[in-house]
Amino acid sequence: MVAVAVHLPLLLMQLPLKSYDTNFHIFFASHYAQHWFDPWNPKWFAGFSQTTYPPLPQQWTAILSWVLGLNLAYMTVQFVGILLLVVGVYRFAELWVSPRAASYAALASVFIAAEGFLVYSAGQLSTTVAAPIYLNALPFLFQWLRHGSWRSFLKAFVLLVTAAAAHHVTLIFGSVLFALPIIALAWMDGRDSEDSDKVSAPALVVRIVSIVVAAGAAIAAVLLPFWIGLIRYPVTQTPIAHASRANFLLSPEAGINYFVVPYGALILALPFIVIRGSSIRRLRPLLIGFWATFLLGLGGTTPVAPLLLGRSFNVLTFERFSYWATLLCLPILGQVIVEAVDRFRLKALIPIASLAAATCALAVAWSTYKPADASNLNVDSVALWLNRDGHDHYRYITLGFGNKLSRLAMQTHANSVDGESNSARMLPELTQFGGAALTSSKYFAKPGLDSLRAMLNHADRYGLKFIIVRDPYYDPLLYFAGWRQVDSLDDKTITIWSKDGVPPALPMNAAEMPTHFQGLIWGTLPVGFSLLAMLVVLLPEKRLRPEHVTDAAYTREHLVSGGMVS
Amino acid sequence: MSQGKLLATAIAVTTGLLVTAGTLWPSAVAASYSGGKTEGILSSTSTPEAAVNDLAAQLKLHALAKAYSSLANKAEFSEADFERDLLGIGLSLRTYATLDSVEVRPLHQSTTDADLTMKMHWSSVVGNFDDTRDVHAVKVGNHWALNWPLKHESPVPPQVIPVNYLEAPHVRIVDMHPLSRAEGVVVMGELLNEDVVPAFVSVKATLVTKAGETLDSEGSFDMISHTLLPKQVTPFIIHFPGTDLSKISTINMEPTSVLVSASADPVVEIENQRYQEGSGAAVTGQLTNQSGHTVNVSHVLTTFYDANGQVVWVGGQYIDRALQPQTPVDFRVPVPQDLAGKVKSERTVVSTYIQGNS
Repeated sequence: MVAVAVHLPLLLMQLPLKSYDTNFHIFFASHYAQHWFDPWNPKWFAGFSQTTYPPLPQQWTAILSWVLGLNLAYMTVQFVGILLLVVGVYRFAELWVSPRAASYAALASVFIAAEGFLVYSAGQLSTTVAAPIYLNALPFLFQWLRHGSWRSFLKAFVLLVTAAAAHHVTLIFGSVLFALPIIALAWMDGRDSEDSDKVSAPALVVRIVSIVVAAGAAIAAVLLPFWIGLIRYPVTQTPIAHASRANFLLSPEAGINYFVVPYGALILALPFIVIRGSSIRRLRPLLIGFWATFLLGLGGTTPVAPLLLGRSFNVLTFERFSYWATLLCLPILGQVIVEAVDRFRLKALIPIASLAAATCALAVAWSTYKPADASNLNVDSVALWLNRDGHDHYRYITLGFGNKLSRLAMQTHANSVDGESNSARMLPELTQFGGAALTSSKYFAKPGLDSLRAMLNHADRYGLKFIIVRDPYYDPLLYFAGWRQVDSLDDKTITIWSKDGVPPALPMNAAEMPTHFQGLIWGTLPVGFSLLAMLVVLLPEKRLRPEHVTDAAYTREHLVSGGMVS
Repeated sequence: MSQGKLLATAIAVTTGLLVTAGTLWPSAVAASYSGGKTEGILSSTSTPEAAVNDLAAQLKLHALAKAYSSLANKAEFSEADFERDLLGIGLSLRTYATLDSVEVRPLHQSTTDADLTMKMHWSSVVGNFDDTRDVHAVKVGNHWALNWPLKHESPVPPQVIPVNYLEAPHVRIVDMHPLSRAEGVVVMGELLNEDVVPAFVSVKATLVTKAGETLDSEGSFDMISHTLLPKQVTPFIIHFPGTDLSKISTINMEPTSVLVSASADPVVEIENQRYQEGSGAAVTGQLTNQSGHTVNVSHVLTTFYDANGQVVWVGGQYIDRALQPQTPVDFRVPVPQDLAGKVKSERTVVSTYIQGNS
């Protein structure tokens, strides 16, 4: 109910529409809504395959959009993600701490800044849907590893595959960071239990291998077009700058954006989390998992991420590691809260609740204080212009449209050579230089502007006739490169530039175009597995909570109750 | 110490050490967000070169106030003068340019002072430009600070100067030939507006192989003066990187023109034009804006001819500062060294951009 009270009004206000990536997800969903079995989307990059990005949240947005419309459908899927997080955190925390502490952890998950930051400021739908599904899978994974329950195996298997269908980065990095502490816990519990319930090392290994092989095979099949694309066309483009890779002390602005805001008041709790996590033996695997993820989330502040991730460091963004770190520490935080409340009652409860509210408020409001470029731009007039008088026979790009690029693409029939999906683009003009979307070229300095110049130079090749400009910064380049201003919109705040002699745009015969079979897989298996997951989790199962996880059962070393907070 | 305390201490200490290491010796990627200083938070200005790099890092971050406050001779000029020197007066390419990289070359050093050349590579919307300054470094206490060689540029108020507006396309390529270069093929030539009305022009070249297949097609992009008054001629050059001239049998030239309204204003006069032979051969001269208002961006295009009047090369340079009325600004258009000896004459034209007139 708290999650409903906090997040439902914000989502009904459609606050995420101001975020960086929300429009990107809605754009993908709009394509699925119209071309369910054809992931080839001609609207960006002169044509690109949507199989470059796992589809589940966008496909569910597409399905719901047939009833609710795209915006509300997106909000609904995001809301389900938030609710799943609360349930997932509770169930995950129950493995580590008492039900009461798990309840506090679940309650805290409603207020955590990392969630608010990703939902309302970054707009990372896939990350915020995949992680909760993983969290819900982990208790079943534990039961399988610990007790060998086949029902748990089935549920863990289906949920893991469903989560993978929601987000690839969470699959590749997040799933490992979540699963390793669970494996360690299963090993510790199995080793320490009575003889009848012991798990031998070979049995544990067999169970780990069996779930990894089964889930791996299913993930390979469900995301087959994604893997085919990745193997045939590996991401070799020049890395694109992202401030989450900065050293947060040397670049304080990045530190505020990627550390202070996503962690909020949790920063104050970090010492207590470390102390309590290390003092209770059972919590140590979780603490170490949290610590490793936390260090990775610090981006370039420590040498850990650059050394561990190698070239991937230049490709990944690290705000999602902070999100995962937050989720991993919630059970310990729940335990810390229980002890603080037991000892200080209202004197603890009031400041904790206040800090939680302030943390959530700052993260939600961050999109207002640090808005994405052009977050308030209305693109209706531009879409109308592109849709009339045959303008849509040519391709276009925008300059200075920020995250409204996706919104415009949804509203116009015209196609663009630009787009927001960095992994999907194949045009050499876009991949060689290290700039992101052309519409934001100037923010990427030389790499961005080199990319823009290369694209303008090859305008004829792509039927690129119109440039829609909302930032006069670009005017000199267009002027000297042979483009003429032919129209203006919205009180001349938007100008339209055209080039003479450009031939009409022709469909590109790209080798990356998925086959009909791939389209069929993409349109059935991810959503099919999510439906299966909904059915399978309803199967009744004997509740096998770790027996010794009770309020009184903690074995702390040389610590008395409340000693930590005194 | 218990295991728990040991673990907590180990985590806290290791985290502290890792953060310290990442801050003192940041990775190149992490450092790029803080202006490229790989020496980290304790980076000092303990050498003249470090002082220049420190200043460059501030300029990369557009932290001009901080850069100004680090200068040894800041009492000689105001922060506004320093900003005007770097960003120019009025809108120009410098206004929104970002410092991409800096080369530092020491010229001389004693225990108390040093001279260095600081070559700044700036990135602007139309391309890159360099700004080279000779800076004097002085030792202040145990660190070095720089004397910034300020280039004074005075703002000029708008002036009223009468101009003759022309209203006025048949265009023709009057000269064209390809050239094989190490980086590929270039096609250059000249285009004439032989009509009595202004024309907005572009040129596209298509390379056709001996088998009749189209090899590549490129346009003149910004290496042409797009707006041509009647009887005006513009040079053009089109680059085909990675192409072999020996495989080409035909080059199809495709000039396009449309009627536009244009005027001779602003008039930009080219003065003291001179061809400098030898190492670093180039055409140098000065541009003077004869109109009454500021020209924000100007682009100089020079055609180099041989003794037979054939085009040898077409080069260009953007002027990074705005042209204030009646205020000369230097330009320099280089010619490749291997072609420099063939150059017998040259002709320069200037294209101009004025904010709001596009």
